[in-house]
This record gives sequence, C-alpha cells and structure tokens, in this order.
Amino acid sequence: MVVLSALALILWLFIVPMGMGLLIQKILPTTKKTIGINFLCGYLLSFAVFEVIAIWCMIRIQYGAFHKCTIVFASIEGILAIAGYASKIWEIQREYDKNSNLFYLFFPGDERSKPEALMSPRTDVRVMKFQYTRESLLYWGIFFLIVLFQLYKAVTMAPFDGDDSYYVVESLLAQQADVMNTILPYTGSSTALDIRHAMAVFPLWIAFIAKMSGIHATIVSHTIMPLLIIPMVYLIYLEMGRILLGVRQDMIPVYMIFISVFTMFGNTSIYTPETFLMMRTWQGKAMVANFVIPFVIWLFLWMFDDCRKPGFLWKEETAGGLRIVRNSTWLLLFFLNMAAGIMSSMGIIFGTALAGLFSFLLLIYTRDFRIIPKALLSVIPTGVYLLIYTSL
Amino acid sequence: MYGIFMECWDIFKQYGGNGYLLALFVASLIYLLIAEKDNRKRLVIAVAPLMVLVGFFIPLTRKVYVRVLSDGGDTYYRLMWLIPIGACIAYAGCKLFMNHKRIGLVAVSAAIILCGSLVYKNENMFKAENAYHIPQLVVKICDVIRPEETEPRVRAVFPSELLQYVRQYDTNILMPYGRDIIHWNYYNAVHEAFENTEVINAEELLEATRQAQCRYIVMHESKKIDVPLEEMGLTLVDNVEGYNIYEDAEYVQ
Repeated sequence: MVVLSALALILWLFIVPMGMGLLIQKILPTTKKTIGINFLCGYLLSFAVFEVIAIWCMIRIQYGAFHKCTIVFASIEGILAIAGYASKIWEIQREYDKNSNLFYLFFPGDERSKPEALMSPRTDVRVMKFQYTRESLLYWGIFFLIVLFQLYKAVTMAPFDGDDSYYVVESLLAQQADVMNTILPYTGSSTALDIRHAMAVFPLWIAFIAKMSGIHATIVSHTIMPLLIIPMVYLIYLEMGRILLGVRQDMIPVYMIFISVFTMFGNTSIYTPETFLMMRTWQGKAMVANFVIPFVIWLFLWMFDDCRKPGFLWKEETAGGLRIVRNSTWLLLFFLNMAAGIMSSMGIIFGTALAGLFSFLLLIYTRDFRIIPKALLSVIPTGVYLLIYTSL
Repeated sequence: MYGIFMECWDIFKQYGGNGYLLALFVASLIYLLIAEKDNRKRLVIAVAPLMVLVGFFIPLTRKVYVRVLSDGGDTYYRLMWLIPIGACIAYAGCKLFMNHKRIGLVAVSAAIILCGSLVYKNENMFKAENAYHIPQLVVKICDVIRPEETEPRVRAVFPSELLQYVRQYDTNILMPYGRDIIHWNYYNAVHEAFENTEVINAEELLEATRQAQCRYIVMHESKKIDVPLEEMGLTLVDNVEGYNIYEDAEYVQ
C-alpha cells in the first residue's frame, strides 16, 4: 500500500507535470528548455487546468462534485502528459531520422555549450552553460545540504496554525465526503458556497493528490506538500538568479545559499513570505507570496532580458525567431494568472497588479506599444475570475 | 492623511519585526539603485520594489486597498509580498562581493543570520508527533469516538485547545462549534455552557449538547463541574491522557 501510494505520488507530482511541461516546452527558447523550467511550466499548466475544471464542477455539480472533478482532471492531466511525452518522442525521432542531432536531449537547454561557442566573444551568454569549478560545486553542495535540512525540518516539525482548521479540513472534506466547499470545515454543518474561499481551490488540488495517492489529505498537506513546494520555490529563485547574474554564473550557488539562508531566517514576523513558506507551506496564501509573485518577477526579468536587440545565436535560440517563441513569456503569464486564481482570490489581483507595474516599466523602457495588447491579453484570466467572483 | 500614513508605518514595523532585515533590504535596495548599471535588471530588482515600497506608504493606496478587499484592513501588509526582499539582498550581496566570493559568502550569510530570526525557533513550531502533524492526543481521542465506515457521523464537544485539530483528522466527527468561535466570538449555547464558565452547570450543558445533538463530550478531568456527568446519565467511555470522554446514551445520532 505504501509503495503504491509512493508510486502514485511520483506519477502525479513528477511524471505527469513533467509531461505537461513538455507541451509548453515546445514554445520556449532553447535556453529555457531545461528540466527545472519544464517542471515549473508543467505545474503552471496543471494549476491552470485545475482552476477551470474545479470551479466549473463546484458551481455546476451538486452531488459528488469532487469525485467527478477528480475523474475529469485526472483524465485531462493524463491526456496532456501523454501528449507532451508523445510529441517530444516524435520530435526526437524526427531529429534522429534526419541524423541532424544524435545527441539531442529531452532538455536541450541543459546541454553544455560547444567549446567554440564558449570561446567566441560574440556568444550570447544566454546560450552559455557554465562549467562549474570545484569551489562552485562545493557551494552547490552547501546549498543542497541547507535545502535537505529544511525538508527534514518540514517533515519533523509541526507548526501551529489556526487557519489549518479551515484549509486542511477543506481538503480532507473533499477526500472523505466528496464535497467541494459545501460543508463548513469548522463544524461539519452544511453551508452555502462561500465564494471568497471557494474560488481559491488550492486545497482541492491537494485533495486531488490525496485521493489519487490514497494518502490522508492532512498528511499530504503537512508532510508531502513542503517536500514539493519548497524546492519548487527555489527553482524559481534559481531562474531569477540565472538572469540577474548573467555571465557570472559561478555566483549562482552563492546566490542560492543566500536565498536559502534568508528563507530560514526570514521569520522576523508572522507576516513575511518566508514565514508563510516554512510554516504554512500548503496554504494558498503561502503559494501567492512564494510561487506566484516570484514567478511574475522571473517572467519580467526574462522579458527585460529579451528586449535587447537580437544578438548572436538569436535565431537558433528562438527557433528561427518564431512569434510564438518570442512571446512565450506572455503566454506563461497568461497561465500564471490562471494558476494564481487557485491560490487565493487576492493572489490573482496581486499577481496582475505586479504584472501591470512591470508591463508599464517595460513599455517605458522599450517604447514598444505592442506590449499593451500583450499585457491585456495575458490578464484575461483575471478579468474572467473577477467576473465570476462578483457575479456569484 | 497623516493618521493613515502612521497606520502604514505601524504595519511596516510589525511586518519587519526586529527591523534589522528590513534595514538590510533598504541598504541593498539603495546599493542596487546606484551600483546596478544594467537598466533592465535595475528596473525589475530595484526600481519596481522601490515603487511598491513608496506606494505602500501612500495613504491613498491603503484607502483603496481597504475599500476593494473585504478584509483589507487586516491584510494590508501583504502588499509587502510584492517586494522580493530575499532576492534583492541575495543579489546585492553577490554583486558587492563578486570578486571576493568567500568573504562575501560568510559576510552576507552572517548578516542575514544576525539580522533575521530562525523559523525553527518560532514559538509556534513544535516537534511533529505523527505524519498528520497534529497532537497524538487528538488522534487517540478521535480513534475512540470516530464512527466506523457504515455508522452515521457523530457530533462531539471538545475543549478549545483541541478544537482546531479534530476535523483535520476525521471529518466524520462533527462539532457544535469550531475554532472560528475563538476568532469571531459568536454565540453558541454549548460553548457558553462548556467554556464560558468557571464551574460547569451540568444540567445547562446537557440541555445545550442534546439540543445540538452531541453524542460525546470530551472534557479535561481538571475541569470543574457541579454534578459529575456520570450521575447525569452519561457513560465515561475512556480517559485519554487526562481527558474524559463521555457518551450520552440518550442521544445516539
């Protein structure tokens, strides 16, 4: 039973999101086709799909809503993941047949640069994969030890948080009673749909994982989720660091050590994102502060990074300058806005507000007015979300 | 306007706790505004955070926030989440010590450690007693009263210190009031009779619990009651680490 549960967790928390990420990977520039970004994109798509299905089931289905939601979501996730893997395998096969790149990787962005590219003064740093020195590898080792320590603590320490009696019970109710927000978590009595909490379906996403793995939703929330979410948050900071540190990629492990130490010591009050991440990891609010907001910042770092004039290897990086590849960040922002809605109703407003501020700065910096329609299109999910929120 | 500004300042101070990390952040921000030559990075990692920080203190922002969000008064601090404080400090640290990696690693880490507060030392952080991360005591009590799969759900009264954990373990145990009563302080007859009194009036309590259809009453043995519940017709089912579990045979759901 334990083995089956563990396998189910691996399937639904790693294999399926990775497959879904492969679908998004198709539109990413080569340098962004890495395992980490693929994983993040998979989750973005997973959250976005869940948002649509869960809210629809919650509003439209009266009895056994969660059971039906689980079936539909599992099917769509499965189909998307299979489609992702199939398209990737087909792509590799095609490359193999052409004999063009026998060393083609699933994640070409992780490929080391060729010596001539490293030596060329015209090499675009974005396509340069750094060969770490022994000292840098040691710093990576320190960082991983810190993260391991944090994960160990997340499993062995139990923070007290009163809000769990709402959010965690909501997950458990979905798992045990097949309901979606129609029972009051505090007491168990029936209740009308509380739209303020109901639209934020992250506890139900946790319930989905609990149901598919057969593990009690409280265990999934308190013990399993930190093992997933804390490394995922670091992945976003890592991608931010890659852009910020540019050619000095050797500083990335040092930067990550600072980030991880800050996460551990950022508990200066009960209000900081770090406190939320370490003490209420499984709550949507923590995800807004530590997943959605950093994700927005990373996307805009990426957009600002890309807005310079195309340099060496630009065409190779953007698959011949395809429009969809050049605009992939806006598409990711669209999915992120959808995903933000499942975390908290406030999260979607915060994410959009920050994206608005950055879009404004980007507009001033580039004076490219095409940013306005792109930014407006990317916040469509926020508009739809707020429309549903206010009409119910 | 000055009053609202001071409210923002108080929220900012509460957010920062001891304030040292915020000071470190402000120093990092100023450094990045001056030292970062790449405008693209400066706009994202320094200018935008500065704009959010300034916006946070503008009274109009708070007015709009409170008006738009239903609980805006309590959650205004969350605007600070839009500022990547950790990333600013980490990047400023890297930039400052770009050519003195080892010294930088020690100096910046030490600064963060000295200015910050370790999350594992938080007073609300406890050693986990099980994978549920709820007290084992609650698990034991719930195991006594939880219904079997084929049985109907049960309703039980719990003392306030256990309230929040019960339904995290089993949602088949209902309660006449939950943890929300502590926050919202609404009226509940069972709560009045059980918690809001020095010495429990057994008759009043039973009247309320029977009205609320409670099958079980979980009560610490040190809790004072005028007439023992056994004498009122309840059965003492078990005692778990000092908590008596009484079953009301008159009401079986």
